[in-house]
Amino acid sequence: MSIQQQYRSRAKELLQDGSVKMVIGYGEGTTATRRRPIFITNPDDTDRLVLDAACKTNLAGYLLREGLLADQKSVAIFLSPSGVRTINILASESQLSSAQVVVLGFQIQGDTVKALEGTKASDFSPLIAKRKEKRKAQPSHEMTRKLEQMTPAERFAFWEGEFSRCIKCYACRAACPMCWCRRCVVDNNQPQWVNTSSHTLGNLEWNLVRAFHLAGRCVECGNCSEACPVNIPLHLLNRRMTEEVLTAFDHYPGADEHQEPVLASFRKDDPETFIL
Amino acid sequence: MTKILYSDDLTACFSAWRKEGTKVLGPVQQAKTSGFGEVQDAKELDLDLVLTDRTLKELFFPRTEPMLSYSIGKQQIDTSEFLPSEHPCIIFGARPCDAAGMAIDDELFNWDYRDEYWFRRRDRSVIMTIACKESDDFCMCTSLGLAPDSAKGSDILLRPLTSGKGWQVEELTPKGSKALLPIASLLKEGTEEAAPTAEVPVLFDLEACTTWLANPENFESHFWKEISERCIGCGTCTYLCPTCHCFDIQDEGDTYEGIRRKNWDSCSFQLFTMHTSGHNPRNTQSARWRQRIMHKFNYFSDKFSVHSCTGCGRCTRECPVDMGVRETLQAISTLPK
Repeated sequence: MSIQQQYRSRAKELLQDGSVKMVIGYGEGTTATRRRPIFITNPDDTDRLVLDAACKTNLAGYLLREGLLADQKSVAIFLSPSGVRTINILASESQLSSAQVVVLGFQIQGDTVKALEGTKASDFSPLIAKRKEKRKAQPSHEMTRKLEQMTPAERFAFWEGEFSRCIKCYACRAACPMCWCRRCVVDNNQPQWVNTSSHTLGNLEWNLVRAFHLAGRCVECGNCSEACPVNIPLHLLNRRMTEEVLTAFDHYPGADEHQEPVLASFRKDDPETFIL
Repeated sequence: MTKILYSDDLTACFSAWRKEGTKVLGPVQQAKTSGFGEVQDAKELDLDLVLTDRTLKELFFPRTEPMLSYSIGKQQIDTSEFLPSEHPCIIFGARPCDAAGMAIDDELFNWDYRDEYWFRRRDRSVIMTIACKESDDFCMCTSLGLAPDSAKGSDILLRPLTSGKGWQVEELTPKGSKALLPIASLLKEGTEEAAPTAEVPVLFDLEACTTWLANPENFESHFWKEISERCIGCGTCTYLCPTCHCFDIQDEGDTYEGIRRKNWDSCSFQLFTMHTSGHNPRNTQSARWRQRIMHKFNYFSDKFSVHSCTGCGRCTRECPVDMGVRETLQAISTLPK
């Protein structure tokens, strides 16, 4: 049985026996190479589910839809390992209860997709632990290194150039499962903390504020860069932040649901070397 | 005999226009994203693009622009207005759907109030559109009653020659004819044939859609929730739409000194309709998506007798979750009226 068929059957069973009220997965898109998020509640519709290497979007953010989990019922969702990490972070930040999430785990490897064992987010902890070690060993990406070697002025010019295209559509925020604030700081207008205009200052303010808010929380799923209609390489900022918290705090976001958020926790033995 | 403009003469045309003090803009690649930018040489243009990522509207309605500055003193209040310059410019190589969008928005910006910011830029610009030889999976101009060689909104229409070496030149407006004067010597009379235009399939029955939308009973239909379930509420579709025109006015500065700016805004955002009281008349994403569709194909059409969509397809092409006008109207055209 193909992995797609296997997951369709699994989704059907889950809906039929009432263990979940909804399956969030991927369906066919406008073109042959596109996939789109779909929400299945009827077991007969599970054959609309698609699972292949084109299923790249991290769907976890949909779990935070207002009221979706309020009835304590469970929802099944197709998740890659970064999606599972997202669930862990959202649980640790009290945004959902992982007990209500049935994971249909998969992993994309090149052009193929592999099934992952497990149904609860915690089932994937050993896999995530392995990925952490792999991430630590992974050399910095070429572009991250290039940015690192720039002088502050060059780096500023690089980002100023990239952000100059920003149109403040906030697709990065909307696509990011970590951007769950009911009211984003940029939408606060009394006072207006961040300029709403998409001029140089406003764009720098927005993109840097977002990058800082994601430090130690980003799972590098790629939703932001993928969503950006003007192709700003937002992942470069987040990747840099990830490496920073990994080196400084040995923190790999979303390792498990009991992990304390790195920037919202305090340790007495923290050397606080950054305080002047 | 038709007037022909050969690609080889394009840079000479640009020089001739620039000598007259006219800026030349066209479709260019700007760091991984295509849009309209100023060019000196024809080599800088990317005329093979089916459509630029960013729309023509940005040239007339920038995403942010200063309107006035204010300074409040003890004795007096000083303001000074920032109006766009009237520096003439030629936009070479727009697409028919984008150009049509500008004509559609002319109605809006000159309805109860004439928007000087829009019209100063419109009046100073000449749009030279190139008919489309190719389309992609998202193009849907024909579904909106337009075509790959629609003249709407253009001052000059260029039809690519079969040989690929230039264009047949069709003057559409007096402004367009005037723009051709400095390059008159570079235009040749010829009989070369124009290449066939792109074949863009009709994807939905627009009339069936508008009839359905006009029925008040459908306003509360469950359809809206289903079709927009995956909408994440970003502003991509509206900001990359050639006709979406909503804006917000923001004062940047403090009580005494600052700049008032006009910024793009989007009906996709929750904040767009949020009242000071906390009440939001469009409190769900489905209500916001319905608004976008109703505005384009019902309210706008009622007021100005034209739909606020040209079928450029960018909403679907760029949507992070693969939604768009196309899917919605395709679905509506199959619903019982």
